[in-house]
Amino acid sequence: MKKRTLQRGLTAFWWVTITFLYLPLLVVMLFSFNASNSAANFTGFSLRWYERLMGNEQIISAFWNSLVLAIVSSVVALAIGCLIGYGMYRHRHRKLGWLIVLIYLPIVLPDIVFGISEMAFFVSIHRHTGLLQPGLGTMIIAHVTFQIPFVALIVYSRLVGLDATLFEAAKDLYATPFKRAVHFLIPTLKPALISAFFLSFTLSVDDFVISFFTAGPESATLPIYIWGAIKKGVSPEINAIATLMIGAVAIAAVLSLMFNRQGRH
Amino acid sequence: MTETNMAVRSRGVVSETRHLLFSVMPGAVWIIVFLVLPSIYLMAVAFMTNGPYGQPQMPLSLESFRQLAGFGFLGWSPGNLYTLLRSLWQTLLSTVLVVIVAYPIAYYITTCREKWRPIMLLAVVVPSWTNQVIRTFGWMNLLAPGTPLSDAAQALGLIAPNMGLYPSNFAVTLGLVYNFLPFMVLPLYAAFEKLDTAQVQAAQDLYAAPVRAFWHAVFPQTLPGLLAGTVLVAIPAFGMYVIPELLGGGKGMMLGNLVANQFAGSANWPLGAAGAILMLIATFVGLYAMRRIGKRLGGGEEVVI
Amino acid sequence: MTTITRIVAALGGLVLAGGAHAEEGKLYLFNWTEYMDPEIIEAFEEKYNVEVVQNYFNSLPEMLAKLSAGGVSQYDIIVPSNYYVPRLIETGLVQPLDHAKLPNLGNLKDQFRDPSFDPGNEYSAAYQWGTTGVIYNSETFPDGPKSWSLMFDPDVNSSYPFALMGDGQVSIGAACAHLGHGYDCTGVDAWKEAAKLLIDTKNRGNFSGFVDGTPSLQQLARGVTHVALSYNGDYMNFKNEDPESFANIEFMIPDEGTEMWVDSMMIPAEAPNPDLAHKFIDFILDAEIGAQLSNYNYYSSPNAAAEPYLDEVLTKPPVQPTEEDMARLRFTPSLKGQELQTFSQLWNEVQAR
Repeated sequence: MKKRTLQRGLTAFWWVTITFLYLPLLVVMLFSFNASNSAANFTGFSLRWYERLMGNEQIISAFWNSLVLAIVSSVVALAIGCLIGYGMYRHRHRKLGWLIVLIYLPIVLPDIVFGISEMAFFVSIHRHTGLLQPGLGTMIIAHVTFQIPFVALIVYSRLVGLDATLFEAAKDLYATPFKRAVHFLIPTLKPALISAFFLSFTLSVDDFVISFFTAGPESATLPIYIWGAIKKGVSPEINAIATLMIGAVAIAAVLSLMFNRQGRH
Repeated sequence: MTETNMAVRSRGVVSETRHLLFSVMPGAVWIIVFLVLPSIYLMAVAFMTNGPYGQPQMPLSLESFRQLAGFGFLGWSPGNLYTLLRSLWQTLLSTVLVVIVAYPIAYYITTCREKWRPIMLLAVVVPSWTNQVIRTFGWMNLLAPGTPLSDAAQALGLIAPNMGLYPSNFAVTLGLVYNFLPFMVLPLYAAFEKLDTAQVQAAQDLYAAPVRAFWHAVFPQTLPGLLAGTVLVAIPAFGMYVIPELLGGGKGMMLGNLVANQFAGSANWPLGAAGAILMLIATFVGLYAMRRIGKRLGGGEEVVI
Repeated sequence: MTTITRIVAALGGLVLAGGAHAEEGKLYLFNWTEYMDPEIIEAFEEKYNVEVVQNYFNSLPEMLAKLSAGGVSQYDIIVPSNYYVPRLIETGLVQPLDHAKLPNLGNLKDQFRDPSFDPGNEYSAAYQWGTTGVIYNSETFPDGPKSWSLMFDPDVNSSYPFALMGDGQVSIGAACAHLGHGYDCTGVDAWKEAAKLLIDTKNRGNFSGFVDGTPSLQQLARGVTHVALSYNGDYMNFKNEDPESFANIEFMIPDEGTEMWVDSMMIPAEAPNPDLAHKFIDFILDAEIGAQLSNYNYYSSPNAAAEPYLDEVLTKPPVQPTEEDMARLRFTPSLKGQELQTFSQLWNEVQAR
């Protein structure tokens, strides 16, 4: 009896929490279709804010910046992170404490410290050498820096989960390390690589603070544009872009669920 | 390395070392050049002097730390102390609230049917995939004056008439809880899933009161997850910039904003860098403390995030 | 593995090289939001066969931060207000203007040819001028006093949400004016008193935040606040665009005095295309273009030659303040060194408490 009340209470609490989690997003989506420029009253259905988006060059360029940033940084981080993950695995019996500290550093450093150190550093390097001009390039560097650890840890934990004799077999089978990588390691690691890529991609799109501080004048991403628009006070348009971004996340969620299901069958 | 390789051992060691260098170096160098060096540079900036227009310059001094402690040209003032205390308080409050919400949620998910669990976890995590700025903007919409929630709060006399729930310190706390909830649910869920039911059963037989059974059998087992979650919530919450800036409306300034402001409007890079050092110290003290507590409780590896 | 290393190195090289641009035929304009007629941009692009890339800022601190974080080599034109001009000159963030390339400079009215903040227009050429005043909801305050008390006096406004200006110098100036020290007060004692007033004010229940001038208009229209600070031209511009939402919103110049500002075009020290920047400045200083700009954004023109082409609305308040109000307007003081640092600390204190 008592147990059932507890369970009922928990079910109710679950739905309250889910409402709490989704309410702000739903409100953003709802008001993106609002006919009037009001945050409080929904006066009718309209697509006018979406129409405005389409004609806004800044938003379109911000979209491309976000996409290029996320893809390039994820690819670079995948290559570098993968190597580290593999190195950590191959040499896991050695004392690699310094490496572990190095890899955890980007994870534990507060965003604001991360972003500001890089901004200050890039600015002063640029002043003295002309390199590292703030822009998409510096943003890619910053994003790769916080993506590497996640890729490395995913690859490492996947390798640890493998049967060690497989490696010996592969050593006998393929003569050169390159062949071994192409025919054995990469296929075996494929699921890990895919999920590492998607995690990097998500981290990149999700980041605001680090991007904000390392960006240049022409490299605003969607989150930076939205931040500026909030500060400027143009609301309904933000609702529309935000809705599109939430939609993209929803699609990613469904995909990841399907991917997950398939993986288990 | 197998025994047959003994003969080529010495050559093997060299190539192993080369292998280690080749695989690990690109990433290690990347992090050193693009994160360790910048951090060191920032720390150096903290010991410089603030120029007439806010740029860092020689000579070296401890002036920025004095300023951070509140000592200015006008004697001591409590502003920065307020900011620091507010950051600590918001971190503490939001972490506790996150635990209160996440604990039952994580437990509830483990009681559900296995095929539902991944979907439920996903449901908790998906909102955090959207950008922080968008999530916070959602709350700005919900809590502004004239919205149903603000009207309800006015009717209950919780806030002054004509006002909204945002901007306020309350909105900041809410935003923090919202932002970090998934970070607590995931490790707690992992802990609950591994729960030793035999031990719980035994405790239920031993102690009549369910509260005591929970306290002696369930709680200690979930502690590693709780600690991991606390680290994942408290550290980023302490350095939060976006949420106080958007939801606080000038009343909820936290350490992250103090630091960011020094690189923007007020332009005092050394003071900002000193604030960043304070944040770093807090981070490492927090991590160290969690690790120590975790080890003493026998949580072992899992506590080390 | 070496192949992968090579790919990594190649990609790394790409990243390092990327970012630099300074393309020919592009002008990077860093301006206030809602401050430029798109048709003027089109006309300039057509005349010189170039592309104009616009970036925007909402406040001067924001502009300065972007400029010192690398913007100095990425923008061709910036449009700061008077009190930031000396700061930009002395920190070497801007370059002198080549008057030979600016034949239209003579179009400026006399008082803008030799302004106190930049004698002889060595570095700057005026873009527009205007005032910062109080905007309020006239339904909420049907007979609101022409005074800062609408914000600072809890007896006058006990319960309606209000916002102060995000730029500390303007907010402190407003508090100074309310206290009777004048908008352009300087000196530690006056500032301290003003900072105290601001701290008390922001701790009142109906204080709703520090908001920049343009967004505060949006907030007022949406009912988020009922009193705030904004600029006369933006007010007119918004009101014209959306008469319904702004029907009950008024702009006034408090009797205790407030800000008059001059925004000037300047060229950052390492601008990618200074030659084109000069062409742009000269283009804006043209009589007809200058008038078109003012007619578009409802700010007063510093251009004497533009006068015949100006719309009538520009000759009346709030765009052109009455003579009485004109006498109440002051420049925001330009701060440096010890004074600036003291001010920053006080403002920091206001924000923190």
